[in-house]
Amino acid sequence: MTLIVENLSKSFGATSVFSNVSFSIEKGEIVCIKGKSGEGKTTLLRCLTTLETPDGGSIKINDRYLYKEDNGGIQTASKDNLQEIRQEIGLVFQSFNLFPHMNVLENLMLAPNFLNKRSKEDIEKRAEELLKQLGMEGKGDSYPYQLSGGQKQRVAIARACMLYPSILCFDEPTSALDEDTRGQISEIIRSLAGQDIAIIIVTHDNAFVDEIAERVITMSGGTIYES
Amino acid sequence: MKVFEMLIPMTIEGLKTTIGVFLVTLIFSIPLSIIVAKLRMSKNKAIANITGTYIYIMRGTPLLLQLMFIFFGFHFVPVIGFAFGRYQAIFIAFILNYTAYFAEIFRGGINSIDVGQVEASTVLGLSKTFTFMKVILPQVIKNVMPSIGNEVITLVKDTSLVYILGVADALKAAKSVSNTYSTFIPYIFIGFVYLVIIAFLTKILGNVEKRFSYYR
Ligand SMILES: Nc1ncnc2c1ncn2[C@@H]1O[C@H](COP(=O)(O)OP(=O)(O)OP(=O)(O)O)[C@@H](O)[C@H]1O
Ligand SMILES: [Mg+2]
Repeated sequence: MTLIVENLSKSFGATSVFSNVSFSIEKGEIVCIKGKSGEGKTTLLRCLTTLETPDGGSIKINDRYLYKEDNGGIQTASKDNLQEIRQEIGLVFQSFNLFPHMNVLENLMLAPNFLNKRSKEDIEKRAEELLKQLGMEGKGDSYPYQLSGGQKQRVAIARACMLYPSILCFDEPTSALDEDTRGQISEIIRSLAGQDIAIIIVTHDNAFVDEIAERVITMSGGTIYES
Repeated sequence: MKVFEMLIPMTIEGLKTTIGVFLVTLIFSIPLSIIVAKLRMSKNKAIANITGTYIYIMRGTPLLLQLMFIFFGFHFVPVIGFAFGRYQAIFIAFILNYTAYFAEIFRGGINSIDVGQVEASTVLGLSKTFTFMKVILPQVIKNVMPSIGNEVITLVKDTSLVYILGVADALKAAKSVSNTYSTFIPYIFIGFVYLVIIAFLTKILGNVEKRFSYYR
């Protein structure tokens, strides 16, 4: 299993957002997470990507614990492991969060250059390749403010893919898109899944779920069920 | 024209002080203020409060008083057996004072950056320091340039406060010549000198702002 979530719980202060959330995802699967507003979908993604620390339960990615159940509490992976495991899971934010002062190529290459695991040439080649794959050829020199919403999203996807993640999460990927670009994004997501990346999509958009989901998980009343 | 024979060399001499105090203050207080801004925003309450108090004192009292305090203050506490020289006192007071003002500007600038920028960096595996230096700071500098520019221009004029410690700056030069020849001309002249300096700085600040205008 690529991702195993067990008995995960999270609260903010006294209010519990969810508890006992368990599910697992294989590589190449496309899983949609649905649920009413405020049910904790974004919070769940933020736990998976270490932006929030869960209160209990465990998250295991490619057989390594990101968070591990520990006497009812939770233990976070050691600093070195955390850095490594974190790169296995990417997130495409609802608002993309591109770096506005960097052009598209710089956005893509910043993290891999910092992590310094591949040569500069490989990194640049990978960036060019991804842009081509995503239909953004020739846009490497553009700044985020010069791009449309759909183009920014593709840059955000490419930026996440630069680190060769095994899991890629999307928060409301269709919220800023029209019909046509929605079709394009589902094609892109399918092709990523075809490259063995596990895909987790949080969305309200039922039409999009019908179009793309292989599995649907619903969050409701602080827990989840799969239909 | 006797007036100018005296005025010009004295002004040049005085300008060395004016420009020296200006440059030293800027060079030290800008980097320091970024550190102070981060300390002010520290999660550690004690550090945040101490930094807050320092900023409060520096912004809440006149720079003139701070100059006097740092120079004369130590003479009144003979037990320490230690006092600052005039120039030391001037540099310390100006740097401490301007660091406080710049720090508040940087704090506002850092707060104005969307948390999404830090979150994206975290998910991409960037370290905190790297994120601050490469993602946050460049955006902050663009945002704070207009306010920093205002303070920089105020600083040029504030340098004239050094007269209180008996140090001759450009304005003091004008005053001396005016007294000697009983004429107002030196003041008009020095007014123009300030205007020329400010025009030059405005141009430089404009260029810096332009360098950051490649993105929105
Ligand atoms: N940082 C926070 N502090 C306190 N409460 C929070 C915080 N973040 C989220 N919450 C609360 O947690 C609950 C779940 O929020 P979350 O954003 O995960 O919902 P969501 O399912 O993504 O909703 P939507 O569909 O509207 O995006 C909400 O009640 C929200 O108010
Ligand atoms: Mg949400």
